[in-house]
Amino acid sequence: MENKSLLKSAVLMGVITIFIVLCWEIYLRNLGVKNSYDDGPPLWSYTREKVYQSPNSTVVFIGSSRNKFDLDITTWKNETGFDAVQLAIEGSCPRPILKDLADDPNFKGKLIIDITEGLFFSIAPPNNEKPIENIKYYHDRTPAQKASFFLNKPLESFFVFLDKDNFSLNAKLDEMEIPSRSGVFMMPIFPWKFNRNAFDRQSAMTKDFVNDPKLCNQVKGVWHFFSEMNKHAPPMSEKGLDAIFSSVKVAVDKIKSRGGEVLFVRTPSSGPYYDGENMAFPREKYWNKLLQITNCPGIHFKDYPAIANFNCPEFSHLGPEDAKIFTQHFIEILKNEKGWEFSLSKSSN
Amino acid sequence: MIFNSYTFVAFFIIILLLHHLPISWKFKKINLLIASYIFYAAWNPPFILLLWLSTVIDFFVGRALFTQTNPHKKKFLLVISLIGNLGMLCFFKYGTFLLDNFVSVVNLLGLEYHPATPNIILPAGISFYTFTTLCYTIDMYHKRSEPVKSMLDFSLFVTFFPHLVAGPIVRPPQLVPQFETERIASKKQMFDGLLLLSLGLFMKVVLADGMLSATADAVFNSTDVLSGLDAWIGVFAFSGQIFLDFAGYSTCAIGVALCLGFVLPQNFNYPYAAIGFSDFWRRWHITLSSWLKDYLYIPLGGSRHGKLRTYYALMLTMLLGGLWHGANWTFVAWGGLHGLYLWIEKYLRDRKKDTDNESKKITRDTGWIGFFYALLTFMLVNITWVFFRSDTFSKAWQMLISMSGTETGGKALLTTLSIIKVLIIIPSIIITHWFMRNTKVLDVAHQLSWWKLGIAWSTIMLLLIWSQESGSSFIYFQF
Repeated sequence: MENKSLLKSAVLMGVITIFIVLCWEIYLRNLGVKNSYDDGPPLWSYTREKVYQSPNSTVVFIGSSRNKFDLDITTWKNETGFDAVQLAIEGSCPRPILKDLADDPNFKGKLIIDITEGLFFSIAPPNNEKPIENIKYYHDRTPAQKASFFLNKPLESFFVFLDKDNFSLNAKLDEMEIPSRSGVFMMPIFPWKFNRNAFDRQSAMTKDFVNDPKLCNQVKGVWHFFSEMNKHAPPMSEKGLDAIFSSVKVAVDKIKSRGGEVLFVRTPSSGPYYDGENMAFPREKYWNKLLQITNCPGIHFKDYPAIANFNCPEFSHLGPEDAKIFTQHFIEILKNEKGWEFSLSKSSN
Repeated sequence: MIFNSYTFVAFFIIILLLHHLPISWKFKKINLLIASYIFYAAWNPPFILLLWLSTVIDFFVGRALFTQTNPHKKKFLLVISLIGNLGMLCFFKYGTFLLDNFVSVVNLLGLEYHPATPNIILPAGISFYTFTTLCYTIDMYHKRSEPVKSMLDFSLFVTFFPHLVAGPIVRPPQLVPQFETERIASKKQMFDGLLLLSLGLFMKVVLADGMLSATADAVFNSTDVLSGLDAWIGVFAFSGQIFLDFAGYSTCAIGVALCLGFVLPQNFNYPYAAIGFSDFWRRWHITLSSWLKDYLYIPLGGSRHGKLRTYYALMLTMLLGGLWHGANWTFVAWGGLHGLYLWIEKYLRDRKKDTDNESKKITRDTGWIGFFYALLTFMLVNITWVFFRSDTFSKAWQMLISMSGTETGGKALLTTLSIIKVLIIIPSIIITHWFMRNTKVLDVAHQLSWWKLGIAWSTIMLLLIWSQESGSSFIYFQF
């Protein structure tokens, strides 16, 4: 026994492991699952690196999930010839990213900031956690982490089961939704069909999601959960709001002083969700004041009939087909009304 | 570079291939050395200079210490080595801490002094490789072993990538002789090593990162006063996390070295089945405990100069051992609490020594009574983890208040799922440690039938793949 090797056990382990992993992969593919890239700090950091490309070939986008769903990057590239560097992060406040770009003397490009008022004007620390984590990861990345990211990419491109948010052990345990004690925060579960992430950080709903009212209602329920939660949050003081405006102005001015351009966009939402947003964040007090204080151009979807009346499947984000239409009109507005110039020649990336 | 990353998988495959090339042993050692530098530089390239500096100074000082006959010159050389090694450690690890404390004292005296906060980055593994090189020069001073003949072997001893960043802390006689003759892993060593590597990754990735870290972080990062249940579950979660994270790293390191044909010393021996605190320190971070014993406790007098001196040496060793873990007084308190436990245990043992007989000892070590003592030890160790994990004393105090159950109306924080995870994993660890306390995992693996082991191994691998945890750093890298 002393000299016995574990070769036979290792071979059996290899056979069982490969067999079960392949069965899991085939099962998921039969369910219609397509690849979705892990949208964690490594992918965000990889994208963040691109902000230094020429402003004559690149536009940087920051914001929340609406930006990721509503801007169709393929349409954007085809119509403008520009790269879209998508740095928006779902469920988060983009102000830390704005500050990071403003404090980076090498960033001198074009920046479009998506305004989802409930997140952009939020002072709740959880809404800053993801952006801060991503920014820290970007600045502290080690060569080993960069190498791991590139080794991971072909695996994620091939195996659909590599989707931590939806098919990992913890994701499956969370799906059981075991009831907790009263007062304990439980993160609501999104159906996997709601969001698939591309390597360029474009988010898109699946066709199944758009066509399934049950799934749409599930996500509407999630928004309802968050809006109920926000009702219990302490109201923002005038002083607090002024502090936000002035911090945004400082950041925007820094970018402009280096020759950069900044534009705000209010992407579509619909139904009772939009009504609720309007009540909680009146346009005059938030959107109009933001443009006035920062002295930046802005595009509010309600001001343009071509993009004013989309029906968001779950009230808050556009479906993939509408995202293409929105992006086309958005580019037209940028060109015709805001004076942005695009060259249709592809950037040398 | 960390073991739980794709980069390491690719790196390790290349190293294994190079190690099996038909080239001379010297070239294989050069390969291993270059690989070790790449392994370290992949974390933060500039800090490789510190590693070189430490290696070169200690190689030449060590040799001179061994041959020098003039006692004054010998002491001078030792001081150079101590200043070189400990000075570097003090600057990088304790620089900010020392400055903060100095400022606090000066301000207490009524003097206004507010220097700029220095931005010092802690080089990964500096505490580990400093202790590795330090024991070499001290051994040379005492002529406990022969000096390493070649710079190549000494560099490889210091830098050998499996132990470089977080141990096990190796002594020259444990590793240097293994570099003198060609070593290629036998088939048995290769598969034993791969099994240990899989097990270590499972402990780290699936259990520590996947199941426990979020719960421990939520509890220790919370600013609210928590309910007793949440506080205890958080402490249990950290207790499991720190063991699985660090023992997982050591298991990986030993497994990786074994795949290359090298044997590293054991670093953990089922510590949560320890009966008492001296037993705990024989089972937890064994290579650090033995280092502290040989190079600190015994030089401080050990047990050779009466009871009072023994108690003094014990406490000072534990306090400095605590400080080694991090530049914060909470770590000192952690070490101090362990020192206090060891004092009490020693006092009780000394009193019982005359009345205890061998048969009683055996019953205590194996039966239900032993299990009860192990459980008691585990619970008391949990109290010490509160100080280890808390950033401040006020947080530690808040946790202890919550754990005492005297606080009414504490906040319920953890989900039922988090609680279930902890309540499954922690008792499983304790029971596994209890039944395995007198054996080794490889012995058990070899005793199992091949198909049972194959199924158990594939379960580990499948959970590892299924967990999809991204490569987070090992906790002990920060020490």
